[in-house]
Amino acid sequence: MTTAESVKVTINGQEFQVQKGAPLIDVCRENGFAIPSFCYYADLALQASCRMCLVRIEKMPKLQTSCTITCTDGMIVTTQSEEIEKAQRGMVEFLLANHPLDCPVCDRGGECELQEMVFDWGGLEERFTERKNYYPEKFLSPIVANDPQRCILCKRCTRVCDEWMGEDAIEAGGRGANTVIGTFGGWLNCSQCGNCIEVCPTGTLLDATYRHQTRPWELERTVSTCTFCSDGCQMSLGSRAGELMRVVARDRYVDGINGEFLCIKGRFAHPFVNHEERLRTPLIRYRKGGKLIPATWDEAIRFTAAKLQEIKDAHGANSIGVVGSPRLTNEANYVLLKFAREVIGTEHYTASEAFSLAPFFKHMTAPLATHKDIRHAKTIVLIGGEPEELQPLTAKQVRQAVRNGGAKLVIINSVPVRLKQQATQFLHVRPGTEDALVLALAGQTDDAMAARKMGVEVGEIEPLRRMIDETQGNVVLMFGGELSTEAQTILAQLPGSIGDEENRRFLFHPLPLFNNSFGVHDVGLMDGKLNATGLLDAAGDTVRALYVAGGLLPAHLQGREQALQNLDFLVVQELFATDTTAHADVVFPAASFAEIDGTYTNNDGLVQRVRQSIPPVHQAKPDWVITSLLADALGIDFNYQMSASAVFREIGEHVPAYQGLRYPLLKDESKPVQAKYQLAGQRAEVADVLAELRQRVERMTGAGDKIMETPEVGHELFKIGTLTGKVPQFHLLAAGNPEPPDVLVSPLYQITIDSGLRRDTAIAGD
Amino acid sequence: MSQQFTPNNPLPQEAKVPVEMAVFSLDVEAEIDRHLAKYPVKRSAILPLMFIVQRERGGYLDPPGVAYLADRLDVRITDIWEVATFYSMINTEPVGTYHIQVCRTLSCKILGAGKITEQCSTRLGIKPGETTPDGKFSLSEVECLGSCGTAPMLQIGFDFHENLTAEKLDKILDTCERGEYVFTVKG
Ligand code: SF4
Ligand code: FES
Ligand code: FES
Repeated sequence: MTTAESVKVTINGQEFQVQKGAPLIDVCRENGFAIPSFCYYADLALQASCRMCLVRIEKMPKLQTSCTITCTDGMIVTTQSEEIEKAQRGMVEFLLANHPLDCPVCDRGGECELQEMVFDWGGLEERFTERKNYYPEKFLSPIVANDPQRCILCKRCTRVCDEWMGEDAIEAGGRGANTVIGTFGGWLNCSQCGNCIEVCPTGTLLDATYRHQTRPWELERTVSTCTFCSDGCQMSLGSRAGELMRVVARDRYVDGINGEFLCIKGRFAHPFVNHEERLRTPLIRYRKGGKLIPATWDEAIRFTAAKLQEIKDAHGANSIGVVGSPRLTNEANYVLLKFAREVIGTEHYTASEAFSLAPFFKHMTAPLATHKDIRHAKTIVLIGGEPEELQPLTAKQVRQAVRNGGAKLVIINSVPVRLKQQATQFLHVRPGTEDALVLALAGQTDDAMAARKMGVEVGEIEPLRRMIDETQGNVVLMFGGELSTEAQTILAQLPGSIGDEENRRFLFHPLPLFNNSFGVHDVGLMDGKLNATGLLDAAGDTVRALYVAGGLLPAHLQGREQALQNLDFLVVQELFATDTTAHADVVFPAASFAEIDGTYTNNDGLVQRVRQSIPPVHQAKPDWVITSLLADALGIDFNYQMSASAVFREIGEHVPAYQGLRYPLLKDESKPVQAKYQLAGQRAEVADVLAELRQRVERMTGAGDKIMETPEVGHELFKIGTLTGKVPQFHLLAAGNPEPPDVLVSPLYQITIDSGLRRDTAIAGD
Repeated sequence: MSQQFTPNNPLPQEAKVPVEMAVFSLDVEAEIDRHLAKYPVKRSAILPLMFIVQRERGGYLDPPGVAYLADRLDVRITDIWEVATFYSMINTEPVGTYHIQVCRTLSCKILGAGKITEQCSTRLGIKPGETTPDGKFSLSEVECLGSCGTAPMLQIGFDFHENLTAEKLDKILDTCERGEYVFTVKG
């Protein structure tokens, strides 16, 4: 990385100046010389087992595998010759010695790397007459199907499982010609990310929730952004006839920040889109205590507008609250804000967010890290949070930074999270005392007190400070929702007070929970007078009506079950009937992420496109369209002409960080655009905040037990939510990521995907 | 103050079935500790430990044995599986009292290993990879055992039987059948 020295390499008679030490296979490919390969996978340990990438290098005996050769000065390389082609054809013939030749029944047919390779390097006939190895098909888990005889032993799956996920759940067993990819006892005991499915070049590992339902060439593909967490993975939605069939991140279809990585939610939790329980029409409850009755859009909009007007006239504009959601697009939240301010004129608007990043944004003195920065960081400080379960892409980048990049990782957490296996230092603090660490970082004076409150040795804090001091390269500061407003502020100011050195740079990586937590803050929806719980507390009192887009969080409703009933009028836009819609007077069916155009802003500050893959199901409409219709009915035409692009243009004009952004500039997912956040300078009032933080830490009891148990893999990932609950496989996993009673037989091993798990009877929409 | 996110669903852990872990006598534990002490990295001791566990758990790595190994060596059960299936000396399924392992690699093959296996097969009524119903014999074909100079050869437990002929093999199997076979090398 650091050796920028360039050397001369001659490839097929042409000279190139390239970086010394770069993998030859990459250099050849970048310069337009195609090299076939199976086992090579960028940024994974080298395998060199497929022998497809052979080249001739002068002065070296025999053909060489270009994936393991690094460029040195004066290297003369030939990538194409009769000799090389013969060797490659030989390799393909060997691969086919055991591989069945029944592509028409294989689910990978049409996007199989082996199939493509055979078109170019395969022979016309098979010379092997020996019996092929035979293994029966099986399921490694409810979502991973396995057909071992198709394996070509490239071991991408095992490396991805180990290096990306740190799971080591799938490995190669047996030896020689009988080597086979598998797991102990046949059960895949892991977070079920399905990345092994994604990277498998053949049909060995397959998506059991999708296979044999359609063919890849029948799918319409749309590049979009994941709707589950704040990492904002880029994915390719495959749809057929208005139904979302699958989600993949194969690099032939999409090339985003996540490469081919997705987590279980991104890859498998999409069936909610076409689920039969989706709300079909607008619903109106004409009188309190009555039933929700299906209505036409015209009727529902007219009814709602009239009611809102009535309440505004009777109790004033501030009696109406507007609640957006960090799950919705920037467009939806922006239009909601505009509706609140311009149409209603209320100061009561907010979003149903788990915690606010406002103090951080107001005081940040260093830029945001992108996921690429994290991968190449030299020091990573993770305060609170649990990225492996809540922001899986971040966790993967952190793990690779440590394992493949030699970064130092410090984890400050009250839970011994799994990621601590990778940590250079783990500060195991008492629950709720993460603030104390921030206080300690801000100055030496409070070390002893902070250590006492956190329940760690004083000596454990100094090495952390030294590590940050001595870093040559990027220091990434990550933090979760555990930090208080004051701690967020102080942390945000920290880089400013420590100051950059020539070879050291600070970067921030907050870990909010939702796909558009950043965006909902950026458009300003979080700036209202009250937050979500505040609005609920005022319900029935100063707040008479609520307009909620995307449900409220269970955490908000906990202990406030009565609040919604106290309202005079509740309007909800939702995908499904929820606890919130149960009390609604009007319910609008909203369109899901697969049915709309828009943008999400991820935790890198990257503004990424959401693209429409299928038409809205039933009578659903995009959230911002519903809001515009309401505005229109209340006499103000937003004049977006049904175009999300027009909404975004307006965001580009009004939101400072998004200045000048337009959809065409966000076209290419491989070159994502980062919002331009204003860096704050050193703030004088910070001294006060620091004093407050000190008081806060002083008030901590410094007693209480630590959490000693590392949580199960998937304890957050497999949680049943409104959306994930629509996937049968999640229920199986949530029942305890079932491990076999004895290691050899898994209870799920017997569950075939046919017995009630197939989606086809549950399809809604046509 | 910022709101705290409190997860409202209980952790779905109760449903997990815990794997019972093998327990060994103090002597065995001491033996294991001796091996572990030899390596700077714990998991390097995987092979010696596997032999011990296999010996103690009735000749193969049963699930509690595997759970024990994974725990002791700090590796995943899949890592254990990977190593265990690579070596023919490690069994992942129960084997008979007399585990007949016929070498099938080049030297032995040329000098008639095929016939040796066949003779075992017909006499015992099992194919390679199988165990007789009475649990007395298991038959397997293994790779070179480093005794090529005395091919063809087979191994029972860890005992070598070299320069095999049909008569010799019959005699060996006879002693086994009568229960008079004495293991010379202890596993
Ligand atoms: S299962 Fe697929 S990815 Fe894994 S080694 Fe076999 S061919 Fe490669
Ligand atoms: S890509 Fe080089 S050997 Fe497989
Ligand atoms: S080939 Fe049989 S012992 Fe070497």
